[in-house]
Amino acid sequence: MTLLDDVRPYVPGSVLLGGGALFATLLGGAVPGVQPLVVAVAVGVVAANTVGTPAAAEPGVSLHKLALETGIVLLGAAIAIEELVAAGPTVVGLVVVAVAGGLLLSEAVARGLFRLEGTTPSLLAAGASVCGVSAVVAIGRVLEARGAALTFAAATVLLFDVITLVAFPLAGEWLGLTARQFGVWAGVSMFSTGPVAAAGFAHSPEAGQWATVTKLARNSLLGGVAVAYSVAYAARSATDSEARELWAEFPKFLLGFLLVAAVANGGLLSPAAIESITAVSDALFLVAFVGLGLSIRARDLRAVGLAPVGVVLIHLIVVSALTLLAVRTLL
Amino acid sequence: MSGENGDGAIEGDVVDDTDVAGETRLARRWRSLDRGWQALCLGLAIVAIHLVVYPV
Repeated sequence: MTLLDDVRPYVPGSVLLGGGALFATLLGGAVPGVQPLVVAVAVGVVAANTVGTPAAAEPGVSLHKLALETGIVLLGAAIAIEELVAAGPTVVGLVVVAVAGGLLLSEAVARGLFRLEGTTPSLLAAGASVCGVSAVVAIGRVLEARGAALTFAAATVLLFDVITLVAFPLAGEWLGLTARQFGVWAGVSMFSTGPVAAAGFAHSPEAGQWATVTKLARNSLLGGVAVAYSVAYAARSATDSEARELWAEFPKFLLGFLLVAAVANGGLLSPAAIESITAVSDALFLVAFVGLGLSIRARDLRAVGLAPVGVVLIHLIVVSALTLLAVRTLL
Repeated sequence: MSGENGDGAIEGDVVDDTDVAGETRLARRWRSLDRGWQALCLGLAIVAIHLVVYPV
């Protein structure tokens, strides 16, 4: 067994992702006004729902999440820390209020209005408030949720990922938001990290950076939310300390993003290096977004029930309306 | 290669132990890392290469 043998299963899928990314780049370059990142998602969605992903390509296609997180780490090189620090307290404040308020709102709506019981309200609340499907899975693990509840909640979040991925860039354009306003709005209101970054970059590169940074701040709260839920449900395992749980759910690539931002802002990288790293980051995002499109399958969305859709819809309308007001006033 | 689900923040005890017997030691170690650490390592490796190729 050689290193080549280790890599071989990932080749077909990587070629598929790379081919989609290349096509998106060529089409984006040929048609004025067309964003390659948007084309990348569209190519993936069309392929997944027509010919499907060949079984041989599945291992390689699964690398799109790694590509997204590595792209985010490298995005640190393009971030101006001064600008981040200046807007930091406002953005962090918005994120904390939106996550805490969103959790309470979804729990209240799910249990009070739609009479949902068990862990489903918490799974929906976590998915909508923190970081999409990954929050559903993480909180599901903490609460020892049943498979069916997990499937319903994850499918509901996925459905709204698709809707918001299309709706937010259109709304941002229509509302005339600045790049920073739109990026922060998408980062606070939308659900999963991939669609947030895709929607941000669909608006503009600057909006994409703000959307990603804001979403990272939100993702970093997942550990705290997991601890809060485990205490609330008193379902914490005897061996898992709260600190360990906090660390287990913490997105480690965030540390890489901060480290790269520190290196770039510390003057250790030449302008040519920053330009090249940004190009690599963009290429990884393209590959990741083709994979994101490939993961959106119409048949998966049919598992959604009306009550979970109602809960998440109310959450989305209330949170996005309030945060829109906030970003327009504060940023 | 991490074998985990979700969009990025799920990290922790992720070890895909399917068919590990036929892997090299490097691949086994790589798979034992969760995806967040893998992304961090890859990102820093890319930055390190740029530091060498494009010195300040």
